[in-house]
Amino acid sequence: MNENIHARAEKLIAQERIEGISQAERDWFAAHLRECAACAQAAQQTNDAIRVLRAMHVSLPRGLAERARFRLQLRAQEMREREPQRRVLWIMCAVSWALGIATAPYVWQAIEWIGERTGAPRLVLEFGFGLWWAIPALFAAAIVVLENVRQANERDWSGR
Amino acid sequence: MADDNKALAQGLKRRDPDLLDQLIEQYQYRLFRYLLYLTSSRERAEDFFQETWIRVLERGHQYDGKYKFESWLFRIARNLVIDWQRSKKMQSLDALLDPEEGTPVEFAAENQPSPLHQVLTAEEKIGVHSSLDRIPAVYREVLVLRFQEELGLEEIAGVLAAPLSTVKSRLYRGLEALRGAMQGSAA
Repeated sequence: MNENIHARAEKLIAQERIEGISQAERDWFAAHLRECAACAQAAQQTNDAIRVLRAMHVSLPRGLAERARFRLQLRAQEMREREPQRRVLWIMCAVSWALGIATAPYVWQAIEWIGERTGAPRLVLEFGFGLWWAIPALFAAAIVVLENVRQANERDWSGR
Repeated sequence: MADDNKALAQGLKRRDPDLLDQLIEQYQYRLFRYLLYLTSSRERAEDFFQETWIRVLERGHQYDGKYKFESWLFRIARNLVIDWQRSKKMQSLDALLDPEEGTPVEFAAENQPSPLHQVLTAEEKIGVHSSLDRIPAVYREVLVLRFQEELGLEEIAGVLAAPLSTVKSRLYRGLEALRGAMQGSAA
């Protein structure tokens, strides 16, 4: 029975500081500490440990913040320089796709003409046309996939 | 507070240099202290400190302002340390993530006093320093987040990307280990 009481007190010592305890538990705990020197000592040791932990001081390396700011400036500059390149890539991709659609009828005419001259089967011509038309779309898809992969890699850092 | 966080999130999205300067100034002590306890090395802590702010710049758009900035900051720092640890393959990552199922990770070499120990004992001659240095890094981490950084249990769970139950369990064990280590020091 006594062991149970001390075990409960031990648990409350930590619980009070980690999760908090109810008023009823607090009253019981306070009464027990008045009667039990061992538990009171354990509570005091825990209090001391936390108090000293809170009071501990760590010295910062000199110029720590300045070095961080300097590196940030360099990185920000790099990012600013890279941003237009990425935008150009997307624009090229969009233009390529739009041109593919706009020129499709003319390209098909040209392929038909080649087919007439060479006698290639219609299936081959259609496949060639399809491939030609799909290339910009595939290129765009590849960029989208790569961008998604990049963002997925970043997702781990988002925290929530 | 929520409005402040939203404004902070917008500033980070814009990569506002003044805001970043202010954040570095405001959080430098807490971030460095956290990294020092995590890595037990001043040099590594400083490297991770620089790298953490680079990540803040690069991925500031991911901070949505729903949670405290420091939780997000500590999480970035922690992920960097874990990535570094993974790349070095010095210890099992699983042990860091779930110490109850393996040997908890200690970053400092076991046979020599760690830089953390040296630095701290040089600064304050109090037994708790060496006691803290002796307890496993995963427990030390939650103790620091709870009692030095004053983060709530859910915020710590966010930093660790661990369930609340794991955070509580580590805190209970950590507190017990700290008290035990202090008693050992006193003896």
